Amino acid sequence: MDFGLTETQELIRASAREFLQDRSKSDIVRAVAEGDNEAITSLWNDIVDLGWPSLTISEEHGGAGLSFSDLAVLLEELGASLAPTPLVESSISSWVIDRFAPDSLKSDLLPQIANGDILFTPAIVEQDASWDPESVKVAATRSGSTLVATGEKRFVAFAEQATHALTLVRINNEEPALVAIPIWKADGVEQTPVAHASGVPVSSLTFNELEVPAGNIIATGNKAIKAVEELTAAGGVARAAQLAGLGRAVVDATVEYTANREQFGRPVGTFQAVQHHLAEMAIAAKQVNHLAHSAAWSFSQEGYSVVAAAQAKIAASDKIAELCWTAHQCHGAIGFTWQHDLHLYTRRALAWKTDYGDSAFHKSKLANAMGL
Amino acid sequence: MRFDFTPEEKDFKRQLSSFLDDVLPADWHGPADESRDDHWELNQDIKKGLAQRGWLVMSWPKEYGGSDSSPMMNTIFAEEMAYRRAPGHDRFGTRMFGPTLLRFGTEEQRKKHLGSIARGEIQWCQGYSEPNSGSDLASLQTRAVADGDTFVITGAKIWTSLAHRADMMFMLVRTDPEAAPHKGISLILVDMKSPGVEVLPIVNMAGVHSFNQVVFDNVRVPKSNLVGDLNDGWRAGMTVLNFERSGIDYAAWARAALEEMVDYVKSDEALVTSAKTDPTVRIKLAELHMEVEAARLMCYDVSYRQGKGEIPSSEASMSKVAASEVYLKVLDYGVEILGMYGVLEPGSKQAELQGRFFKMRLFYTSGPILAGTNEIQKNIIAQRGLGLPRK
Repeated sequence: MDFGLTETQELIRASAREFLQDRSKSDIVRAVAEGDNEAITSLWNDIVDLGWPSLTISEEHGGAGLSFSDLAVLLEELGASLAPTPLVESSISSWVIDRFAPDSLKSDLLPQIANGDILFTPAIVEQDASWDPESVKVAATRSGSTLVATGEKRFVAFAEQATHALTLVRINNEEPALVAIPIWKADGVEQTPVAHASGVPVSSLTFNELEVPAGNIIATGNKAIKAVEELTAAGGVARAAQLAGLGRAVVDATVEYTANREQFGRPVGTFQAVQHHLAEMAIAAKQVNHLAHSAAWSFSQEGYSVVAAAQAKIAASDKIAELCWTAHQCHGAIGFTWQHDLHLYTRRALAWKTDYGDSAFHKSKLANAMGL
Repeated sequence: MRFDFTPEEKDFKRQLSSFLDDVLPADWHGPADESRDDHWELNQDIKKGLAQRGWLVMSWPKEYGGSDSSPMMNTIFAEEMAYRRAPGHDRFGTRMFGPTLLRFGTEEQRKKHLGSIARGEIQWCQGYSEPNSGSDLASLQTRAVADGDTFVITGAKIWTSLAHRADMMFMLVRTDPEAAPHKGISLILVDMKSPGVEVLPIVNMAGVHSFNQVVFDNVRVPKSNLVGDLNDGWRAGMTVLNFERSGIDYAAWARAALEEMVDYVKSDEALVTSAKTDPTVRIKLAELHMEVEAARLMCYDVSYRQGKGEIPSSEASMSKVAASEVYLKVLDYGVEILGMYGVLEPGSKQAELQGRFFKMRLFYTSGPILAGTNEIQKNIIAQRGLGLPRK
């Protein structure tokens, strides 16, 4: 058991903190939430320059060849700063492409993801809001070397910025297939943005007889199902890492506030009722951090632990949302205002809670693994 | 970042597990806590066996009977013992008093006491709480007055686990009533057979005699039994609490109880058949599974930090709070799943799982209370861990 960071991880953490301190300030987070897409592009371009999208891509394909644990350390900092950027979407997509795509597709796509020429985002969920791959309905018909896709994918994050959607479809109403669908300014793709609590762009994608080369198929049949299960697990762990960082940031901010806010002639943080709230928040943040690290580490090993991934996402979803509500209570009325940044964290925590399988979804996965 | 055990640690765990297979009766279900009065002989037998294999005090230096192992090995030991609900690991001697003596004792005291703990020969108990000094421990009033080569002790200790089985007690006494509360306390060792020591049993709400009140009426103790400097006992005494404060026992007990409950739900023999088909049951059990793992990792983190030479007092408090609370959550849910059978007393006809869950739930009401209540732990987390002001 080693709860410490490696030298590389310490370096990642330090440089991420330094960068995000300036580049993910609350005025930028707020601007993005109000629709400033240029701020997203500008931040993403800098992140591409830092090489972050290439972090877990193998060196063979132009990446840095680092581990999922290393990625988790970076994602914590992105979570703590609420960075409005599609690094999870990109990293999880490249992770799944690397694990499941045929070699030719890998050597085509991964180097382009690594250098920022293309950006992937997962498009799995449909009208029923389910992350269960078996429930997929979006239809693709195969004619020769072309797939023709029709149907609607929902809750696609950063679809406005992405060049490709990692999309689960059902071919000829039967076999599931995971496909790299080019969506950037594509005819036959209609985007419907929704107003999402995450404060980043989220849209529905409607495919209207969209033609996609069959060579873009990453996996079919059981392999496609497996790929989406792994995508959901990896995405859940990535969100858990972000939520761990977010939770830590909210604990720090609440300590800072209650240690300075005075009532009855003393800081409110001296009152036991407030201290106990904070102690419970600190325990929750620490637990989510450990579970996220443990699950991320399992992805760095052969295969990954379904159990650890589910535990991390359940804990992150439930505990960090609760932690944020408690932080509001500790802040009193000021934390109930639009002007105060706390609700930005709470909104993000509530949004991430639903992402890549909510708590109920992962509890069911975990119960399956327990033989229940 | 690495979340598995080393080959050496895995190997030790296998050896310990196979030893326990041999010494525990077939179909053993506890009781888990060594401070209980039942199964005392089994407790002693297992303790001797563990001592012979050098497992009781692995993290101590070789010269005192240990093997210089990492704190993680101790945690693996404690976890496996608790997971199997095995008696015999003597936490008072091995986990609390021994490490304190290693830090604060004289060479003569170490030679005299550590060997017998390592060999599993002497049972220690801990004399801290008093009838009027619980969470506010520094207000303790039991007096020790110097008289020639001895101290004369008068007063009373309470909630003393295993006092009725113990050979020796390490206790906090007031040696300077004029000084500020923390500055007038000393740590001293008392032979429980000394004239004037009286042990009065207390039966807990689970119906078990596990702890006692101990009355001291002019008990004479040699001055050489003082540990550390006179009036400097608070520091040594608090160090004991740092050693005591890990949640690993609770985390392991919780895991064992959860697994027992999962097996029950799956079993074709379960009388409460609805548990198998009720979809909320599997979801709740999965949630508890996550909670148990979260608590367990907190405990490993404490050992990891101790191994690096830190004194992780806030993390230790966190692990105690998290693990003692999750254990009760598991037991509560176990009792709930059993429905009307859940409240049958052990030994009752028709009791499912021999009424164990109900009894454990009552017994471990003590978890969030003992060794510093969870409220005190949260104060420590907030003040020492998060740096919130005291005033």
